[in-house]
Amino acid sequence: MSSQEIGQMAHLLRRAGFGATRDELEEYVEKGYEAVVEELLHPGDPQNLPDDIIRRYHTEQSELRLADGAAAYWMYRMITTKCPLEDKLALFWHGLFATAYVKLNQARVLLNQIDMFRRDGLGNLSTLMVEMSKDPAMIIWLDNNDNHKDAPNENFGRELLELFSLGIGNYTEQDVKECARAFTGWTLGNAEYMASRASRDSIWPYSRIAWHFEYRDYDHDDGEKTFLGETGNFSGDDIIEIIVRQEATARFICTRLFQFFAADEVDEAGEQLINSMVQSYWDSNHEIRSVLRTLFNSEYFKSDQARFARVKGPVELVVGAVRLAGSYRTPTQGIEQVARQAVYMGQGLLQPPSVEGWHEGIEWVDSGALVERVNFVAHEMSNVNNPGVRRIIERLATENGGVLSPEKLVDQCLDLLGPVMVSDSTRKSLVNFAARQGDLNLTDHQTGDDAEQRVATMLGLATSTREFQLA
Amino acid sequence: MSTHAATKTFTLEYVKTIGLTTNQNGRGFVNPYDVAFSKDGRIFVLNHCDSARRNLMRVGICSYDEEYLGEFGKGGGPADDQFSSPVAMAFDSRDRIYITDELHHRVTIFDSAGNFINKWDASGSGDGEFNGPAGIAIDGQDNVYIVDQHNSRVQKFDSNGSYVTQWGEAGSGPSQFNLPWGIAVDDSGQVYVADWRNDRIQKFTSDGKHLASFGESGEGDGQFYRPSGVAVDSDGYIYVADWGNERVQVLGPDGSFQQMLRGEATLSKWAHDYLNVNLEEKETRAISNLTPDLPPQYNTPHHISSQTEPYFWGPVSVRLDGEGKLYVTESNRHRLQIYQRA
Repeated sequence: MSSQEIGQMAHLLRRAGFGATRDELEEYVEKGYEAVVEELLHPGDPQNLPDDIIRRYHTEQSELRLADGAAAYWMYRMITTKCPLEDKLALFWHGLFATAYVKLNQARVLLNQIDMFRRDGLGNLSTLMVEMSKDPAMIIWLDNNDNHKDAPNENFGRELLELFSLGIGNYTEQDVKECARAFTGWTLGNAEYMASRASRDSIWPYSRIAWHFEYRDYDHDDGEKTFLGETGNFSGDDIIEIIVRQEATARFICTRLFQFFAADEVDEAGEQLINSMVQSYWDSNHEIRSVLRTLFNSEYFKSDQARFARVKGPVELVVGAVRLAGSYRTPTQGIEQVARQAVYMGQGLLQPPSVEGWHEGIEWVDSGALVERVNFVAHEMSNVNNPGVRRIIERLATENGGVLSPEKLVDQCLDLLGPVMVSDSTRKSLVNFAARQGDLNLTDHQTGDDAEQRVATMLGLATSTREFQLA
Repeated sequence: MSTHAATKTFTLEYVKTIGLTTNQNGRGFVNPYDVAFSKDGRIFVLNHCDSARRNLMRVGICSYDEEYLGEFGKGGGPADDQFSSPVAMAFDSRDRIYITDELHHRVTIFDSAGNFINKWDASGSGDGEFNGPAGIAIDGQDNVYIVDQHNSRVQKFDSNGSYVTQWGEAGSGPSQFNLPWGIAVDDSGQVYVADWRNDRIQKFTSDGKHLASFGESGEGDGQFYRPSGVAVDSDGYIYVADWGNERVQVLGPDGSFQQMLRGEATLSKWAHDYLNVNLEEKETRAISNLTPDLPPQYNTPHHISSQTEPYFWGPVSVRLDGEGKLYVTESNRHRLQIYQRA
């Protein structure tokens, strides 16, 4: 198989997943690019670290009372899943329909929301948006439990139109009011008690009680409404159906998907791809799977231009490094620290800064975050006891007769880490560093010996490059 | 309906609930994993806690009437009287309490006042060594049986702590284990092991000869999903903490299904105390339905228990006190539900 095929597959897995090891890439290439796209778009058994194992050895991930434990639980899933697009897309929806622990004081219901993103994230947009509107975490987050027939609260209706679908300029204030009326009565079971507990961060008497949707017919305004030019006795479901038929919605969702999966910046060629994605949206009756199929199979996405055109988000970076290193595959006491690393880099899972989600792209990288990013990845990749690092050492030893020149060491490490495409000056610096100790002899290497440490150091340096920060 | 009986000859009835969650030391529980009873009737509660709240790890002591009586083993750490991941406890005939710790790979012995006496902490897979000690049971002669989970075996020690024997290996056949957890010994010295990931209870003689296996994977009567605890009463009835199914099952001495409990917790004394000074919560709770009908996506026992406060949630351990009352320890609800035979 060619390096071009490996490079293209690595690109797909960085975007549609969290990266892949060389062994995994070779298996994927054997299947063929479009077949892998279909596999990603039709997730089966994720074969992730099982729930029973997690719950036995991590009490906090059984109770799921606090955000830290819940974030660690999701980290395990992202680190060990065999269906990476399912969770990558859940991360996308989590950023778009951003809901945060800080107001809810309920970690479990946030994970239930993430489950909903997994369940419906690839399907019909209207199904997803109805489920999102019924999601109890979203209801408390945007105050729909306070949206009553005789006293509407417009918070959810406004954000639904402004941040979740149409965007400013594509609706009126009257549309917001009518939208809010349609969602009156959409609340959660035992809403008064649960809202009281949430506002007081109460864990008493017997810990949190998770939430579920409840429709209160007596509190729903069933009167006539005019919304985006259509008139009827609309319910929330009807409002969603009208929203997903709007050109602005199609373009908004497709653009956000493009920016998350293809490139931070939309250029002219990107606009053309978004047009194709919008067409797939209409052709498929609003199915996200079809939109993503168009994206991943496009010439734009497969071109060299699209590679390394995104800054890895903190979660992408952390999960990608751990998957590459092969660590945290079994219950490990430090898993909460892994989740916390992403917080230090600016992205706390289940803790987006506001309903607008995170500001992505180059904004991920400031000087403080960059130090955290570099240190974490280098730490994972320079530990010779990590299974992924051991595998790279084995490949280096067996594929090169055991002896590597400094140039070969650098090139092979960069290749097995991605491949990572670095500038000539970066490569030259790495080679100069490797040359200080001459050729590397991995013949008869032993775990942790000097030869292995040289590889580990090179892996740590190679993953500290600017290029490794990009997806 | 939370409880149903297969026969009329055996019935457990709900008695009361003890407990309250807390985020500080003193009164209340933090992810309790096990209970044990001293000769004078005090209830010792093992607060397993979690890594984010290690400072709350401890053994708490209370009375049946929920009088807080003290605590020891506080803080989480490497000291002799501290824990890292404590799992189970048992008293011997001299009122000394033995506590396992699956991360420290040790068994620590305290007197009933909470003073450190001794520890067995050889880590490994040799005779008398541990790799993740979990369940513990002590028979009438003070022989100590310890589930050595990652070594897939049970080890037996005499009353002086000397290694006696062991049995078990990894697998799913008779006398084989897959991450075993709880253990019990009956009045005649027969040993019962909650073979957690094989979804069954195995029964052995006191020297490890396999006698029977009860249960299989599933959610039906007599089936288990990840049983974590087991207890046996003086008539030979077997009580199983069916952890993964969030319930307790009772089997007859021959392994036949007798009764299933889903849980029916009420407010403990401490819970009443809390609500009586937090009136907004008390008032809104009073108009709430805490056993709601749930949407279909929440149809697993774990999800149902997370939304249904009276039900068992994380029923890790079942233990019988000196009067034969059954204590179900719920890790996720921070309480004990108590039942007794009708």
